[in-house]
Amino acid sequence: MEKALQGLRIIDFTWVLAGPFATRILADYGAEVIKVQSEVTMGATQHNLSGYFNTWNRNKLGIALNLSQPQGIEVAKRLVQISDVVVENFSPRVMRNWGLDYHTLRKIKPDLIMLSLSGMGQTGPWRDYIAFGATIQALSGLTYLTTFPGRPPLGLGYSYADHIAGLMAVLAILQALEYRQKTGEGQYIDLSELEAMSTLLGTAILDYVVNHRVASPLGNRPAHRIAAPHGAYRCKGEDRWCAIAVFTEEEWESFCRVLGYPSWTKEERFATLLDRWQNIDQLDLLVEEWAKEHSAEEVMTLLQEVGIVAGVVQDAADLSQDPQLKARAFFVELDHHILVKASFDGSPIKLSDTPAHFQQAAPLLGQHNDYVYHHLLGMTQEEIERYTKEGVLI
Amino acid sequence: MSLLGGSDLQGLRVLDLADEKGIFCAKLLADMGADVIKVEPPGGDPTRNIGPFVGDEPHPERGLYFWYHNTSKRGITLNLESGEGQEILRRLIGTADVIVETFPPGYLKELSLDYEALKEFNPRLIMTSITSFGQTGPYRDYKSCDLVASALGGQMYVCGDSDTPPLKPYGEQAYQVASLFGAIGTLLALYYRHFSGKGQQVDISMQECIAAAIEPVNVRYLYDQVVVRRQGSLQWNNAFRLFPCRDGYILLSLFQQWDTLIEWLDSEGLAADLKEERWRHPEFQLKEKEHVIQVLEQWTRRHTRAELMEQGQLMHFPWAAVNSIKELWDNPQLLERGFFAEVAHPEQEASFKYPGAPYKLSRSPWQVSRRAPLIGEHNQQILGEELGFSSDEIADLALRGVI
Repeated sequence: MEKALQGLRIIDFTWVLAGPFATRILADYGAEVIKVQSEVTMGATQHNLSGYFNTWNRNKLGIALNLSQPQGIEVAKRLVQISDVVVENFSPRVMRNWGLDYHTLRKIKPDLIMLSLSGMGQTGPWRDYIAFGATIQALSGLTYLTTFPGRPPLGLGYSYADHIAGLMAVLAILQALEYRQKTGEGQYIDLSELEAMSTLLGTAILDYVVNHRVASPLGNRPAHRIAAPHGAYRCKGEDRWCAIAVFTEEEWESFCRVLGYPSWTKEERFATLLDRWQNIDQLDLLVEEWAKEHSAEEVMTLLQEVGIVAGVVQDAADLSQDPQLKARAFFVELDHHILVKASFDGSPIKLSDTPAHFQQAAPLLGQHNDYVYHHLLGMTQEEIERYTKEGVLI
Repeated sequence: MSLLGGSDLQGLRVLDLADEKGIFCAKLLADMGADVIKVEPPGGDPTRNIGPFVGDEPHPERGLYFWYHNTSKRGITLNLESGEGQEILRRLIGTADVIVETFPPGYLKELSLDYEALKEFNPRLIMTSITSFGQTGPYRDYKSCDLVASALGGQMYVCGDSDTPPLKPYGEQAYQVASLFGAIGTLLALYYRHFSGKGQQVDISMQECIAAAIEPVNVRYLYDQVVVRRQGSLQWNNAFRLFPCRDGYILLSLFQQWDTLIEWLDSEGLAADLKEERWRHPEFQLKEKEHVIQVLEQWTRRHTRAELMEQGQLMHFPWAAVNSIKELWDNPQLLERGFFAEVAHPEQEASFKYPGAPYKLSRSPWQVSRRAPLIGEHNQQILGEELGFSSDEIADLALRGVI
């Protein structure tokens, strides 16, 4: 099978989640991604044998390169010369301090595409702010809004914004590749994770701009529309839940039929969608009384079979056994030099002619030094040995 | 249209046949410069009825959800249930590079408009199908929505508190994440088409998209058989938590730069016993985290969010105020970078600032070329000028409910 990004080479200076998630997608579709690491600067998230590292760095080649040495910078520039794209997610001053900023690199490689991903962007009064996914979620309004009405904010509890920034980064690079295809020119992309995240809150932002309304938390109620029931309902078993959403009168009729028309379904207060919406707290309690008598899987199946939107609130163990995910080969397994087997979520982008390839687990530190330095850059074995001894290729 | 250099997707024609699952995907392509034609049923798309509305007056031309998700698109009306409507669509598909669609699997096959049929007469066509569960598998005919995708994708289970039900993230994140993956798939197929000359089908499952954007959930389970659970605002790895301030909430990191943090608390006489040597050991900190949280809370309650964030950031703590949408709008960083983009709405005799570019490209900037289309706004332009229908024919099509 062909690969969509065959022949594209990417130098990957990214770390933690957002950047590696982005370059992983590019690698899954055939780009040759060369991940630059150094034992000198490696932190915990970069530990090559951790599950976390492995997950976000499969399909990439790994080299060791010490950028705190001038010769290390020179080697990096030689790599840029033979590459299409540079991706980095350091604090804004880092690449500049190394002399690896876009203005320098484009002199070496005129049609270079370079993407810098940072919390706040490369300019502005907050450009040096330190940000992780949680920081961005808080600043964007997402954390404030993700809770139950009347409760303090809860937020998402994980780095969702890093995924969003990573996806936007892939989109930006592919967009710049289209432009290069058309004009022969490269360009620089300044991605602010805060801005990327904010584009996913567009309706709430417009509501403020146009109506001066400040959005408030909705719990599990739908945003911008009405539906009832609409939420997660406790089912039989320990911490088992099923999400149910009933949008139309037809669906409500089917819902009542599945429940066997208990008397409350005929009461005035639940007669129309608007009635049910206005009395949704009372409705929730009654729906939950019914749900608790069944397993979450039963609730989902009973409702889906009559065309009602419902789904088990799945935990990690459920996901690993999910029949739908299995049927579509969502999880994949690869051999790993030391971990023996490494398992991953695959790719949700199913392309008919150029599907994702899962060829190799994440690299060990410097695993592909020989291929990259010898075969790609043409260094002799002596040079490689000398540079290694001098602390450049470590 | 003749901007020097042009935008990235200029000249690319996209037919947008999508509901909420793909509406953002087509917007992303439109704001990149593609000629996106939104195909709505006569009378307008159901997503026009989603609130909020300008001035809270429900009206199909005043929906802010619709406005935001349809910038830079043109719009036509077409009844796909009618033979004539299908015929017109087929002619449009002949001119299209990409279709973004979200119909239940099998629906387009009934109309003989499925990818297998269409590629026969337009082999360069890219068809991006964004559905609840994908085109295959035992759940392919099941229904979903933003809530249920979040549930079945493993996201809800890890959001919320131990004493609350699982919690759906605010907004319509599942729809938008699916759209993002869909847009990436579309551009991957487009890139490959430059070399192969052939289009392909992009099959996106909303459930899978969520299951691919839940950071620790799969990793922790696949490597250590640990099921991540919801634990309030405390992040899964105990790195961050929310704390109450005098004027709201602040996100603090718990254990980063421990000595600096304790010195700061101590300078205000609020470090309590955390000054003791034993607290410097990471394992002990983690074991006794509830006590650390208590001490920090006594301290944060005396401060405002701005004091803690600004001072904290100066000292390289990754802290943030928990902001409302109003505060996002007032954010000096976004304002300085010109994030918000003005979009003219002549019918409202006003312009409104929208969230702008998700990233800044130096040579081919993102832009909103026009506000969302009115119902059937470009019927004349597209059916008349491009497909060659006369004004009489167009009037007749409208009369018979085809457009």
